[in-house]
Amino acid sequence: MAVNSSAAEPQQARGSNILGDFFLRVIVLTIVIAAFMRFGNVNIGAIGQGLGYALAGVTVFLTFRVLGFVDLTVDGAFPIGGAVCAVLIFGGVRAEIAILAAFVAGALTGLATALIDILFKIEGLLASIIVITGAYTVTLHIMGGKSNVPLLGKETLISRHSRDFRNWLVEQFGDQMRRQSTNLLEIMIFGLVVIVVLVILYWFLRTEIGLAIRATGKNDQMVRATGLNHHLMIIIGLMVANGLTGLAGSMVVQQFGFADVSLGFGLIIRGLAAVIIGEVLLRPRTVGQLLIAAAAGMLVFDISRAWIFSALDLPTTDIQLVSALVVLAALGTPRLYDQWQSYRQRHN
Amino acid sequence: MLRLDNVSVTFNAGTPNEVRALQNLSLFVEDGEFVTVIGSNGAGKSTLFNVVSGAVHADSGRIELDGEDITISPEYQRSHDIGRVFQDPRLGTCPGLTIRENLSLAAIHGRRAGFRRDVKKAEESWFIEQLERQRLGLEHRLDADVALLSGGQRQAITLVMATLAKPKLLLLDEHTAALDPNAAEQVISLTQELAEANDLSVVMITHSMQQACDLGDRVIMMNQGKIEFEISGEERENLTPADLIERFHSLGSGAELSDRQLLA
Repeated sequence: MAVNSSAAEPQQARGSNILGDFFLRVIVLTIVIAAFMRFGNVNIGAIGQGLGYALAGVTVFLTFRVLGFVDLTVDGAFPIGGAVCAVLIFGGVRAEIAILAAFVAGALTGLATALIDILFKIEGLLASIIVITGAYTVTLHIMGGKSNVPLLGKETLISRHSRDFRNWLVEQFGDQMRRQSTNLLEIMIFGLVVIVVLVILYWFLRTEIGLAIRATGKNDQMVRATGLNHHLMIIIGLMVANGLTGLAGSMVVQQFGFADVSLGFGLIIRGLAAVIIGEVLLRPRTVGQLLIAAAAGMLVFDISRAWIFSALDLPTTDIQLVSALVVLAALGTPRLYDQWQSYRQRHN
Repeated sequence: MLRLDNVSVTFNAGTPNEVRALQNLSLFVEDGEFVTVIGSNGAGKSTLFNVVSGAVHADSGRIELDGEDITISPEYQRSHDIGRVFQDPRLGTCPGLTIRENLSLAAIHGRRAGFRRDVKKAEESWFIEQLERQRLGLEHRLDADVALLSGGQRQAITLVMATLAKPKLLLLDEHTAALDPNAAEQVISLTQELAEANDLSVVMITHSMQQACDLGDRVIMMNQGKIEFEISGEERENLTPADLIERFHSLGSGAELSDRQLLA
């Protein structure tokens, strides 16, 4: 292929090049965040929290971007996943099984939204609001009618290892690490869970079913013409996507040490912000890069929010307003930038 | 191959906007036959395709494909045996996916999507062979995003996709109408090649009187949801666009030809 063919063949020109660019951007972003946290006095707990929520960002990427389905179900899937996990752990079930159950619970909320959309032809936006509304009561019932289930003294994925890890950390690095031991443990365990889930998801999106799901979001007419049931693809897609949010719910519940019926409030907005932040900062191209960007976007969101809290010394009651403003900044800035660009073009 | 018995479709039944898109239409297409369909706007040509492909369901009547009653089977199931190419080049392929991924998707045709790898190494030479036949050079661009291709290129790929899994029937809905003359010609010759190579039954809607005369074994003229006349055999052999336009006008009011059809 000729050297100057890059304009006619942008795909070929991308190839290996972009792969390098992407990882370069990931590394730069990591360094910037690290510096930001160091000098902005942000506790590393924000990373653990971001990792706990990261899969909810991936959910929004799957529904909005891959399936092209306006799905708000995460607000209901998250507390249900959390509640199922908390109740099971409270009852003495192993944390791993509780997490899988949370995935299933989240997937069922996705199934509900998909079925309402398909059977009643109610569009995703409304269908998911219906599901969120109903899910609130279901979550309360799962938690035995209480709005809160504490996990104090129960064995979670974190608490199982926390004492051993703290002792090991103090032994190796001295007593000043004692305060950070739980945060570090969370980062390691949640980081591992997120990586494993992303790898499985990457494999899944590149199976035949995954290909059909990706195609459904772009051109469902063609999917039908190919002899594939696009409704089935929407069902599978929404189930997998919201299952991830259920899983995220179970992680966050173990981190907080309690489940609460209001945990998912406003999560959809944060997920959307995560997807946009990931896209703007990392400019992902391939399936794998897009997945990483969505998860990383949530991390950046939570760290930015934590920084605002510590910088302005705000009380936790302000959390939702700060969330809303960070989301507004994430969604609005690229658009303002575009407007400014076209304004400049018109006036030059 | 394809048999329609007294098929009727009415849109907005019982309202002032009622449209009787198909009125007791019967049609038989033989194995390996190539039929062209002409008619004015609103004659029911596209509804005919939609009712055969399952995008629209018949209010009454019966549809058979290869001896099997498909009147009520869902669209995606019928697609196992029916390949389709639409007028809008954007409808037939999936933007955001590569040529390879689009072809792989089409290759799933006829079986269930499973957990096998989406793009398979083993299919590559098959894809390349199919694309080489088009002489568009697309065999070198398997990993290009389909969104980057021209309308003619996308339509050519759609044709390959529609025939990849060896359907029994191919429905072409003015599939060259949105293309420039050069691309249209290429797509038409590719159509003929693929139809012959796969021994397909083809029904093609066309706006071009020239295409209706040049291609296929039989011309069907539709008007107001009915088949107005058919021309086949010897008469069809000697048919010219001028003859067709004359037959068209002899139908009197209701059969209006658009300028586009007269010019084409």
